[in-house]
Amino acid sequence: MLINILETAFNLIITLNDDLFEIINLSLKVTLSALIIAVSISIPFGAFLVFYKNKFQSFIVLIANTLMGMPPVVLGLLIYTLVSKKGIFGFLDILYTPTAMILAQTLLITPIVISLTYEEIYKKNKEYDLLLNSLNLNNFSKLKTLIYECRYALLTVALTGFGRASAEVGAVMIVGGNINHFTRVMTTAIAFETSRGSIELAVALGLILLLISLLITLLIKSLRKIS
Amino acid sequence: MNIFPLKINNLNYSVNENTILKDIHLTCEKNNLTIIAGNNGSGKSTLLKILHGLIKVPINTVRWGDYSTSNIKINQSMVFQTPILLNRTTYDNLAYVTKKKNITEKFYVEKIIEKLNIKIISDINAKYLSGGERQKVAIAMSIIGSPKVIFMDEPTSQLDPAYKNEIENIIVDLSNNGVKIFLTSHDISQIRRIGKEIIFLDKGKLIYHDCIEKFFKDKHCDLVNNYINYG
Repeated sequence: MLINILETAFNLIITLNDDLFEIINLSLKVTLSALIIAVSISIPFGAFLVFYKNKFQSFIVLIANTLMGMPPVVLGLLIYTLVSKKGIFGFLDILYTPTAMILAQTLLITPIVISLTYEEIYKKNKEYDLLLNSLNLNNFSKLKTLIYECRYALLTVALTGFGRASAEVGAVMIVGGNINHFTRVMTTAIAFETSRGSIELAVALGLILLLISLLITLLIKSLRKIS
Repeated sequence: MNIFPLKINNLNYSVNENTILKDIHLTCEKNNLTIIAGNNGSGKSTLLKILHGLIKVPINTVRWGDYSTSNIKINQSMVFQTPILLNRTTYDNLAYVTKKKNITEKFYVEKIIEKLNIKIISDINAKYLSGGERQKVAIAMSIIGSPKVIFMDEPTSQLDPAYKNEIENIIVDLSNNGVKIFLTSHDISQIRRIGKEIIFLDKGKLIYHDCIEKFFKDKHCDLVNNYINYG
């Protein structure tokens, strides 16, 4: 039975099945959009925190570290209450759209990217602090140098965020609604197709997710080697 | 801009109620290579960092001519005991410092590379260099912009005799060319070889400040005698 399922799943992938690729396409669009937004906000913010030395710095880092472990369904629920018709952002009318899914994934990975960026830049700053101060650089110049020096580590951070977002199911299910041809992404499709007994498509999507995960792991490994 | 003599007036520095430097008063002239000596924990590195402005102290305790340390930072550089190099090639490390010091002269980096004789390692990433090579690159970075003062924190302590000799020659050459060098060292034979003036610290206190010849002729307390005999 398993061999039959795998055979059908591989056929779906090899024959470029329309439904399958529509789902993959939307998944990548949502996750990459979320990643770009999260990284654009979180990397400068995480780096800035290293130089923002007062009582709020450790508090913000603590909050970011805490939110790293936030269950996606709880986040999904929170966003749902905010963007549903009766919520304070209900007027935006984004519930059950890819926009809401991007928002959910962005909020999910932002604390991860902030926290890991802070750690990387903090470590690098300790290493280079004397040199950069000796050169009499201002904080902005130091920040630019440190971000450049951490470039491979920060790419790894971004890939970690991508991995987390692409594997997430709870939040996008709640705010996206898993609407066919509109908000169905790989993870929600796997859950849905399995529940209705269409295991082949679910396996095919699972294999693609595994492949993406493998690629991310290999990329992270080689980036670590370079850095 | 005349930044000499260096005058240190009643310098005290503590961290968490631990006294690192106490009651330091001294005057240093330009034309010599000043060794800062003393046992571990005597405050040598802290004094260097204060003179370079890496540790802030009240403005009037350290005066360079008529200037405070922050006013003359552009005329100073520092070489650390463990060289701090960016994760780039030797050339790119030098180019980085050149850019940060706003030097626009063409082929400036090439000139520095030639001066320190490091062409052979110019395209190698700093992380693949040996300790001696890293220290040479750090010194090359420190001379960018022709600073009037260079602080060197035990620059040869981790090097083999061949590199030690090479680095000492570079230091003496810089000193002979009018760069004021402040160098911390534990190595008594090195102090004898290259030093012109010595500041000796013990537990944060200045206990001796004079020229090297006199230091080796004078009678000292047991602490300094031990240092001279076993350093």
